[in-house]
Amino acid sequence: MANTKRRSVIKLAGSAAAVASTGMAGILASGRTPAFAQQKTVHWLRWVDFVPASDQLMRKELMPQAEKELGIKINYETVNGNDLQPRATAAIQSGSGPDLIQAFNNNTYIYANSVVDLTDLAEEVGKREGGLYKYCRSMCSDGKMFMAMPWAVIGGMIAYRKSWFDEVGATSFPKTWVEYREVAKKLKAKGRPIGQTLGHTFGDAPTFTYPYLWSWGGKEVDADGKTVVINSKETVESVKFMQGFWKDGCDEGGLAWDDTNNNRAFLSQTISATLNGASIYIETLRKPDQYQTEKGTPMNKDILHSPLPAGPAGQFGMHLNQSDMLMKYSKNQDAAKEFLKWIHAEKNFEKWFISQKGFATPPTAKWETHKVWDEDPVMAPYKVAAKLGQTPGFAGLPNQKAAEALSKYIITDMYAKAVQGMPAEDAVKWAEGELKKIYAA
Amino acid sequence: MIEGALWRRWILNYLPLILFVIVLLFPFYWMIITTFRPDGELYRPWNAANNMPFWTNKPTLEHIIYLFEETNFARWMFNTMFIAGVSTLISLFCGVLAGYALARLNFPWAGSLGTLIFITYLVPQTLLFIPLAEIIRDFRLGDTPWSLILTYPTFLIPFCTWLMMGYFKAIPKELEECARIDGASRWKAMLYIIIPVAVPGILSSGIIAFTLSWNEFIYALVFLSSPDQKTVAVGVTSELIRGDVFFWGALMAGALLGSIPVAIVYSFFVEHYVSGLTGSVKG
Amino acid sequence: MAVTALGSTEVVRPSVRKRKLEDERWLAFVLLLPTAILLGLFIAYPFFEGVLLSLSSARVGAPGEFVWFKNFEKLWHDNIFWTAVWNTFWYTGVTTVFKLGLGLWLALLLNRHFRGKAIVRAFILLPFIIPTVLSTFAWKWMFDPTFSVINWSLFKLGLISARINWLGDADLAMASIMVVNIWRGIPFFAISLLAGLQTISPELNEAAAIDGARPWNRFWYVTWPLLLPVTMVVMLFSVIQTFADFQLVYVMTGGGPANATHLFATYAYQIGIVSGLLSEGAAVSLAMFPFLFIIVVAQLLYIRRVEVR
Repeated sequence: MANTKRRSVIKLAGSAAAVASTGMAGILASGRTPAFAQQKTVHWLRWVDFVPASDQLMRKELMPQAEKELGIKINYETVNGNDLQPRATAAIQSGSGPDLIQAFNNNTYIYANSVVDLTDLAEEVGKREGGLYKYCRSMCSDGKMFMAMPWAVIGGMIAYRKSWFDEVGATSFPKTWVEYREVAKKLKAKGRPIGQTLGHTFGDAPTFTYPYLWSWGGKEVDADGKTVVINSKETVESVKFMQGFWKDGCDEGGLAWDDTNNNRAFLSQTISATLNGASIYIETLRKPDQYQTEKGTPMNKDILHSPLPAGPAGQFGMHLNQSDMLMKYSKNQDAAKEFLKWIHAEKNFEKWFISQKGFATPPTAKWETHKVWDEDPVMAPYKVAAKLGQTPGFAGLPNQKAAEALSKYIITDMYAKAVQGMPAEDAVKWAEGELKKIYAA
Repeated sequence: MIEGALWRRWILNYLPLILFVIVLLFPFYWMIITTFRPDGELYRPWNAANNMPFWTNKPTLEHIIYLFEETNFARWMFNTMFIAGVSTLISLFCGVLAGYALARLNFPWAGSLGTLIFITYLVPQTLLFIPLAEIIRDFRLGDTPWSLILTYPTFLIPFCTWLMMGYFKAIPKELEECARIDGASRWKAMLYIIIPVAVPGILSSGIIAFTLSWNEFIYALVFLSSPDQKTVAVGVTSELIRGDVFFWGALMAGALLGSIPVAIVYSFFVEHYVSGLTGSVKG
Repeated sequence: MAVTALGSTEVVRPSVRKRKLEDERWLAFVLLLPTAILLGLFIAYPFFEGVLLSLSSARVGAPGEFVWFKNFEKLWHDNIFWTAVWNTFWYTGVTTVFKLGLGLWLALLLNRHFRGKAIVRAFILLPFIIPTVLSTFAWKWMFDPTFSVINWSLFKLGLISARINWLGDADLAMASIMVVNIWRGIPFFAISLLAGLQTISPELNEAAAIDGARPWNRFWYVTWPLLLPVTMVVMLFSVIQTFADFQLVYVMTGGGPANATHLFATYAYQIGIVSGLLSEGAAVSLAMFPFLFIIVVAQLLYIRRVEVR
């Protein structure tokens, strides 16, 4: 009896398994089609471009053209910039996903183990186009390999309201932080503070706090790339100055801002200046009727751009570097490489570059003389964004450790803590502790 | 006296109820207003003289039109419905059977098995999604609705099982015993006697399960990649937040249109739902 | 009647397989099988992998080696981690109390007869239905430092003279996030508790009223004990959901300002995904487990006790 019982159970379990397996097979079959088709498909994952016209151009013109000329299929996918990293991580860990994934800043170092060396292509493009900028090169290459193909740099410059600065007597943009603070004080007194985020956001926060730190002479690490030297007189000085600058001249809401808040605040005329990509200006150009000054004139006539002011140690900038990683797990590496080569060919890349209207600065010197920069003098400061940039992790390399520190917002949080009331020395000490943990490991 | 009672009823019942409704629904009003507000008005700081947060004089349909013409919104709605629907059905199927077994059958380790199933509900998604991505790849489910339909039950089944255990426990043993005395097999008794009685309970766990899968974000973000496979939550956030600008009008329109249809469906179910949960406490 | 008919066919044509199903153990096995397969495949195995991950030194794309509890040791000395732990408890505790209190109140209000009852009950569910990410964006905008409609309203009501920096101040940011969570959670509590209330026979209350019990006493001695089992189950699920909350903080603050609002899940995401330190991220996620486990076991034991009573 017990015997029959067991046998029937085995039978039952067997039939259940059979049902389950046919079910699974059905599912497998439905999943199989895209997997097979993929062999001729290059899947390119990028952020949703701020300049909608550029995504349009990619989808409607460049991709179909590439498909025709290269005889492949291209899956052009865009996601919100914040969501690139979870996608890349899941793709790498599971060994399947997009063939090309866009990387920001020195994230390339985080994914170094999972990408294909693109030195040939990068050097070829660099040689052809007057040389790769050092900034883009060090963001994408550790000297041994190119972990990603430099695509472009989204320049970060201070957009400011000309007339408002004039009103408080600043007819030219302040050259130093001390001057800037004086101007900001007067502006804030008139209800027009400077807007700056110190929140957890990948764009505008570090592109402000890193150059600010450097301009005072502060550094995360020494040139050896190991010794943490953040706890210096210079850093403490910079934090103290920031506390005053924040109180005197900034919009205190900035602690909560993400990359979008300063755009909206500027466009709604609650702030007089902010560090940003050219997106604010481009938006006012796109809708001149909607964005007007308090006097009823188009706001785009009242916006100018300037690099960040200088500190005792000089003037610095850090800009959002974008590059494309060719993934090791990709089964179409050759096709993907062919495609990258194609899109970086001058005549193709130029179309995209023009559609950006100066929002993005290409990674090679040749484009500095492109006519795009002459069309609008207001955009001219962005021309050299990539040329003058300094990479995170300075004075060390922008390596994986530096990327980790950047991704943990340590420098940004140091300033955020200080303006929230923590004594400057303690904030710096906190940052030192965090950095040491990273660089010691 | 009657006057006094009415006055009391207002203070104690209606007034708080009205406050609740206002507070709970205010964000929706806010979404509606934003949906129909022209962009120009969206950029008025809170203390601007001409700021009218609660009204707009120039309502516009441009955001809704943008949503349907420039994005795959209709497709995302369909995907979300399909994924949530099928994964809810799978979870209910498993949850009802397992709940029945755990609540009404005697077998060794029934208690520990129940606890074990419950514990799976505690495993954080942030831990699971990387290893899950590997399984999805092995089964070649990536970028298909099945990647979600098969993973959502991981958090829905424990939930359904436990709710159903509650309902099944509440149904008196005698009901089943009567049927068995009349000669029904256990299987038939379960299928034709107990489960029909538990329908309200099944409905209510179904509703909660549907809502949970409707809401899910991380798995949907990671496992799907083609624009026309995405769900509402992922599609709307990835297409309408670009670079450093939010498309507020369209974003809010998407949020609103993404929830109203479900709300309407629920309004038909809500009485069932209420009486369904009732079952779980009886007895 | 139908039952009898069905039952008799069963007696007439007994098959071996069906007879096996008469054995409770085999029936239970069959009934639990689909659940076991799905959960085993999609939870047990990945969970095991996740545990292994947390004991390794893996980064994205680099499997690393087995390092025992080094990652946990590192967490032990990580002050941001402890902030996240504290935040998670604080967040879960405060929101649960409010959700329960307000949800119960709303349920009591809805448990009476009034015109439009069905509509109100349906619409009150809206906050629970809408995809969290999207409703959180709406709230984010309502709390926006520059455009806050809440500030506008408070200002117009004369309650404030300068704007409140909702998301920029560490404590206010936490409070704002709690408000959104409570807003989302009230409908679930209210509707579930309403269901519980409706099972309580009105005669009990009437009897108590005749005995001269005042309304508050009636609630406390009659309604509340009967409502307790359902309350505990609802709380259990809510606590688990809240404890592992991710989307809300991710959208509203990203853990800022200066890590003041990180929860377990967002911190795990920050480390594991954004910084690429998979093993450490897995360790943070896993560290949530024992905490959650203790809370849940305590609640389950309490439920047992209540049910026995």
